[in-house]
Amino acid sequence: MSAATPSTTSASEPTTRPTSASTSTVAPARGLAVRSLRNIRRLPSAFLPALLMPIVQAVAFSGTFFAITQIPGFPTDRSINWYMPLAVLMGSSFAGVGIGFTTVRDLESGFYDRIRMAPVPRRALLLGPLLSAWARSALVVTIVCALGLALGARLTDGPLGLLTLYVAGLGMATIGTGWGLGLAFRFRDMRAAAIMQLTLFLALFLTTAQAPLDIMEGWLFEVASRNPLTAVLQLGRMGFLGDVTWAHTWPGLLAIAVLGTLAMLFARTGLARLDR
Amino acid sequence: MTASVLATPEAAERRQSFVAQTAAMSQRAVLALWRQPAIVIPSLVFPLFFAALGASAFARAIELPGFPPVRSFLDFALAGTIVQGILFGSLTGATALATDIENGFFDRLLASPTSRLSILLGRLAGGMVYGAFQTAFFIAVLVPFGLVVEAGIVGIAVMLIGGVLTALAVGALMSAMAIRTGSSEAVQGSFPLLFILLFFSSAFFPRETMTGVYARFADLNPMSYLIEGFRDLTVDGLTASAVARTLLISAGLAVVTMAIALRSLRRKLRAR
Amino acid sequence: MSAADNPPPIVAEDLVRHFGSGDELVRAVDGVDLTVHPGEIFGFLGPNGAGKSTTVRMLTTLLRPTGGSARVAGFDVVRQADQVRRNIGVALQDAAIDPLMTGAELLRLQAVLYGLPRGEHRPKAGELLDRVGLTAAADRRVGTYSGGMRRRLDLALSLIHEPSVLFLDEPTTGLDPMSRIALWEEIRRLNDGGTTVLLTTQYLEEADQLADRVAIIDQGVIVRQGKPTELKNEVGSPTLFVAVDHDKLDAARHLLAEMGELRPTAEGRLGVGLGEGAGAVPSVVRRLDDAGIVVHHLELKEPSLDDVFAEATGYRLEGADT
Repeated sequence: MSAATPSTTSASEPTTRPTSASTSTVAPARGLAVRSLRNIRRLPSAFLPALLMPIVQAVAFSGTFFAITQIPGFPTDRSINWYMPLAVLMGSSFAGVGIGFTTVRDLESGFYDRIRMAPVPRRALLLGPLLSAWARSALVVTIVCALGLALGARLTDGPLGLLTLYVAGLGMATIGTGWGLGLAFRFRDMRAAAIMQLTLFLALFLTTAQAPLDIMEGWLFEVASRNPLTAVLQLGRMGFLGDVTWAHTWPGLLAIAVLGTLAMLFARTGLARLDR
Repeated sequence: MTASVLATPEAAERRQSFVAQTAAMSQRAVLALWRQPAIVIPSLVFPLFFAALGASAFARAIELPGFPPVRSFLDFALAGTIVQGILFGSLTGATALATDIENGFFDRLLASPTSRLSILLGRLAGGMVYGAFQTAFFIAVLVPFGLVVEAGIVGIAVMLIGGVLTALAVGALMSAMAIRTGSSEAVQGSFPLLFILLFFSSAFFPRETMTGVYARFADLNPMSYLIEGFRDLTVDGLTASAVARTLLISAGLAVVTMAIALRSLRRKLRAR
Repeated sequence: MSAADNPPPIVAEDLVRHFGSGDELVRAVDGVDLTVHPGEIFGFLGPNGAGKSTTVRMLTTLLRPTGGSARVAGFDVVRQADQVRRNIGVALQDAAIDPLMTGAELLRLQAVLYGLPRGEHRPKAGELLDRVGLTAAADRRVGTYSGGMRRRLDLALSLIHEPSVLFLDEPTTGLDPMSRIALWEEIRRLNDGGTTVLLTTQYLEEADQLADRVAIIDQGVIVRQGKPTELKNEVGSPTLFVAVDHDKLDAARHLLAEMGELRPTAEGRLGVGLGEGAGAVPSVVRRLDDAGIVVHHLELKEPSLDDVFAEATGYRLEGADT
C-alpha cells in the first residue's frame, strides 16, 4: 500500500509521480488544518465558546474562590495564579473537542466521505485536525494568559513557566482531539458531541482543578491523586506557583504522552471503523 | 366539564375553566419533563456533582474568616446546589415553549379558546412542580452525607415554596426569551449567561470572602440574596429574616419576570 | 498501451454487504457481479434501498465488503484502497460540500489531497472552474450556490486528478431540465476523452440517453444487465395503458388479462402487454366497450427502459412518466 508505488494502469496519470511518504502526509494534513482554521473565521460561533469559556472561568473562579489562598498550605497567594492555568487547559481541551464537533458535522453532511476518499495515508486525516487543534489551543493559551496577566496573574519562575503552560495546553488539545475524533467516528452524530464534552468536563474536575491535593479531604483526594490529568495540571500550573522543576514536569509529560497516544489511537481505530 | 360549566354562574365558570386549562397545560409540561431525560438528568446530577466536589475540595475553606459557622461545606453548599439545579431545570420548560413556537403548536394554542395566562402558567407550572421536586431531592440525597438543615421540617417546607417561586421566576424569564426569539437555540444559547449570573453571586463562596469589583457584583446580584435566604435556613435555623428572604425575594423576582413574560406575550399577540 | 493489457475498469465478483447481525441482519448487497468495460458509460439503476448506493460505496473504498471482491482501475478495493482512490473520481449524491468554503478553496484543497504539485493547484482549479462555468462564483461560499452550481462544482472536484474511472451518484437529481442536459453533455465529453463512467440514476431516460450498458439492482442482486436496446427487446411487446371508472377496475383487469400479460402501472390504471403489437389495440377497446366499461384514457407505449425496470423489479420508479 506504499504511496510511492506507481499506478500500473494509466501512464497518463498525473498522480503517478513518486512522492515520498512524509510529504504525502504533511501536505494534505496542512490542507485540512488550513480549512479547519479558516472555518474559525467563517463560523466563529463554533470556536468562540472555546475562547470565552476559559476567560469567564478564569475570572469567575478567581473571584468566587478568592479567599481560598488563605487556607494554610495553599501554594500561592493569588487565586488567579491557581485558576487561570486551569481555565487555559480546559479551554485547550475544548479546542480539541471542538474538532470532534466539526468532524461530526462533516460526517453528517457527507463531506467526510470526500475526505476519506482522498488517496492520502490515514494518519494525514488525523494529523490535519490535530494541527488545527494545536493552533486553536495556542490561540486560547495566548489570549487567556494575556488577560490573566493583566488581571493580576504572575509568573513565578520567568518565561519558562509560560512555555510549560503552552506544552500542557498542546497536550490537553491532543487528548481532546483524539477523544473527540474517536467518539465522532463511532457515533457519527451529535450524541458524540454531548459525550465528549461531558466526559472531559468530569475528568478535568476530578483533579486538583479547584484545590490542591494538600488541602483536600475525603473521596476527591483518592480520585484526584490517581487521575493522570492532575499531573498535566501540575505541569501547566507550576510556572505560576513556584519554580519550574523537572520533578513537576515529567509526570505531566508522561501523562500527555500516554493519554495523547491512547486518545489518538482511539481516533485511529475509530477512523478504521468508518468503512465497516 | 362542559356539563358543569353550563350549570354554574358565569364568573365561577370562567374561573373553573381557567383552573382546568392550567391544570391540563401543566400536566402536559410535567409529562414533557419525563420525556426529556437528557435535560432532566443533568439538572439533577450536575448540582450534586459540584456539591460533592466542593465538599471534598473546600472542606477546609469553612474555617476561613467570612464563612458562616457551618459543620461542613455541604451545609454551606446546599443553597447554591438548589438554585443551580433550578436554573438547569428552567431550561427544559423554556426550550419546550420555544419548540412549541417553532413548530406552530403555540399558534394553535393561541387560536384555541385557552386563556393566554394559562398557556404561560401551564408551561411554568411544570417547572414549578419540578423546582419543588429538585429542592426535596437535593436535601434528601445530601442528608445521608452529613447535611443538616437547622430550620427543620418547617424550614424545608419554606425552602420547597422558595424553590417553586424561584422556578417560576427563572422559568418566566426564560419564557420571555423564548416568546421574543421563538428559537429554542437562542434559549439554550442564553443559558451560559444565567450560569455566569450564578457565579457572580454568593452561590459557591460567601460574599464576605470576596473583594474588589467581584464583591461589588455579588452585592448587586439579587441571586446572592435569594441564595443567602436558603443558606440561612440551613445554617442559622428558622429565623424571620431567613424565611422572609427565601420567600419574598423569590416571589419578588417572580412578579418582575412574570410581568416581563406577559408583556412579551401580549406584544407577540398584538403583532399577529 | 493496448486494449489487451487494460483490465476492466470495474469488476465486482459476488460482492456482498450485510448490515447488523442476527435477526436484524440486512443483506443490502447480496452477491453482485458487475463488469464495466473501458471507455463505457455504465448506468446503474435501482429503486431506493435496492443496494445501489451500498455497492457504489464499496467500489469507492468507503465501505468494506462483507464478502466477494471488487477491483477498480485494476486494484483491489480493500487491499489496494489507496491506489483505487488515486484513480477514481467520485461525485457524491447530495453533493456534500462544506458550505463555509468557496468553490476555489474546495478545488485547491482537493488538489492538495490528491497530491498535485503546488504550482499546479491554482491553474488547475481555475481551469476546472472555467470548464464547469463557475469562474464568476469561484470566490463565493458554496453555501450561496444553487443546486445546479453545487452539482457542477462537485463534478469539477471529482476531475481534479484526471481520474480514469468516474463515479457519478445521481448527478442530476433535483436539477432543472436545462442544467441536466448541460451536465449530460459534459459527461459525454468526458467519456469521449476516454474516461469510464459509472452513473447511478433514478431517471431511466437519463440512463437511456447516456449509458452504453445498464445494470438494474433490486433487493441486493443484479436482476438485469446489458445494452439498453437489448434489454428493451427482451421485454418485447408494447404496453397499452388504460384508465377506467374505479368500480370497473376489477372487471377491466380480468378482461385485459385474457388479452395479454398484465404489467405494473400507476395506481388506478391498468397496463397490458400486447404480444401482437399496436394492431391489437382496436380489439381491446372493442371488448372493453362490449363489457360496458367506459375508457377514459388510452395510451400505447413502445417498451422503454422503464418497462425493463418494471418487469425486472415489479414496480415503477417514482417520477417515471407512467
